[in-house]
Amino acid sequence: MSSLDSVFAAYVLGWAVFFVFYLTVARRTATLDKEVERLKNTLNRGK
Amino acid sequence: MSLLSNTAVLLGKELRTEFRSRELLTTTFIFILTIIVLFSFTFDPTSDESRRFAPGLFWLAFLFASSLMLQSCFLREQPNDTLSALRLSVSDPFSIFLAKLAANALFLLLTELLLLPFFTVMYNVPVLPVLHWLALVFFLASLGISIAGTALSAISAQARMRELLLPLLMLPLLTPILVASAEATKALLDRAPYVPWAGMGFLTVFDVVFLTAIWLFGEYLLEE
Amino acid sequence: MGKRALAGAVVVFLMGAAAYASFYIAPEEKTMHVLQRIFYFHAATAWAGMTALFIGFVANLLYVWRREGKWDALGVACAEVGLACFTVVLITGPIWAKPAWGIYWTWDARLTSTFILWLLYVSYLLLRTLIEEPDRRALLSALFGIFAFIDVPIVFGAIRWWRTQHPAPVIMGGPGSGLDPTMSKVFFFSVFALHCLVVFLINERYRLEKLRAKFEIVRREAEAI
Repeated sequence: MSSLDSVFAAYVLGWAVFFVFYLTVARRTATLDKEVERLKNTLNRGK
Repeated sequence: MSLLSNTAVLLGKELRTEFRSRELLTTTFIFILTIIVLFSFTFDPTSDESRRFAPGLFWLAFLFASSLMLQSCFLREQPNDTLSALRLSVSDPFSIFLAKLAANALFLLLTELLLLPFFTVMYNVPVLPVLHWLALVFFLASLGISIAGTALSAISAQARMRELLLPLLMLPLLTPILVASAEATKALLDRAPYVPWAGMGFLTVFDVVFLTAIWLFGEYLLEE
Repeated sequence: MGKRALAGAVVVFLMGAAAYASFYIAPEEKTMHVLQRIFYFHAATAWAGMTALFIGFVANLLYVWRREGKWDALGVACAEVGLACFTVVLITGPIWAKPAWGIYWTWDARLTSTFILWLLYVSYLLLRTLIEEPDRRALLSALFGIFAFIDVPIVFGAIRWWRTQHPAPVIMGGPGSGLDPTMSKVFFFSVFALHCLVVFLINERYRLEKLRAKFEIVRREAEAI
């Protein structure tokens, strides 16, 4: 592996870790948002 | 001084409970003995090799054993909820911690001293000339292990999977103890032994820092 | 929504600019040549990760004193983001080490202590999954977080004291030790970009944790009916 490839790999992998972390947070937020909405709707209908 | 007298009473209780059955001490002793024997298969225990590896192995065995030994110190209060009773009976919850960690340190120290003859014979390292320094290192390290370990066992006792959780919380946190005490013991068992001031310094720093932390935060660990 | 998307775009732009600067603006280093350019990303991430863990430590302290759910949420958010940063540090480190030293991993002081730090915060997050009751989880994990953070300097000190006695591969001096002015400018820009990223991620993760609390409340209401 040449030096430039190493530098490149380091940047790509580093960015990937942050990006994947962001994606998991965003996905969990979206799922939970939907759940809250659904529960609220059922609550309103029950009243 | 009510803190000290409370602590003394509670410490007496801890010691009486243990010395009635000696369950904890016997089990830990046999456990470490087993590990010490098993370790001998992982490298060639000649004198020179032993001097290099034995201190580290000894402390590693000790750390593992203590992570199992410290499980019970809060767990055994749970069935009859004796912890609430203790909390009501003392003015300062710090004395509960102080008593428990003193008892644990004492148990650890006792096990270490009991194992020392086996260790020195089986791994062929002479300890008699440096025994007093070794005892000091043992004391500082056992104190450190039991200070942090007692606090963490109060945490793990309230969680699921506690048997696995305590070692997981304890071992990384106690890295400084492992490094410092292994290096200090290595210095004492060297062909030209020297007093390991740096090792004992680190152990003291660890003890003081974590004792202060428990003094500040210990009461929250025991909240209902 | 608009504001957060904008913040995200700004962060991506800053990160891109930092990468550009470290590839094209920073001058070539004499001994390591192009390889040294990992430094701007690697070290800046470690600094930003340390900042995240420090904010988490303050949040843990505030939780223990004030007992407000927001400090618990901030505590987890910081621990997770800090852990992500140190994961990046532990990945980029060996990639740098392989061509520079010839091996991916050496039990050198900094590597080892960073790894212990990483393990401590993994246990923190693990502890949180093993306690059901929210108040107890918040309190106990905050206390463990405090213990873990005050342990970090002792771990670094102890490992550094003994492990650097061994012949360790030569690491280049940190910033300040005769670093070229352009290099240090690029480095501090990188540090700034990484801090923006960390703040952005903490904010996102914090929102998730607040949403969870809200979800619990709504769920309990629904169960009551």
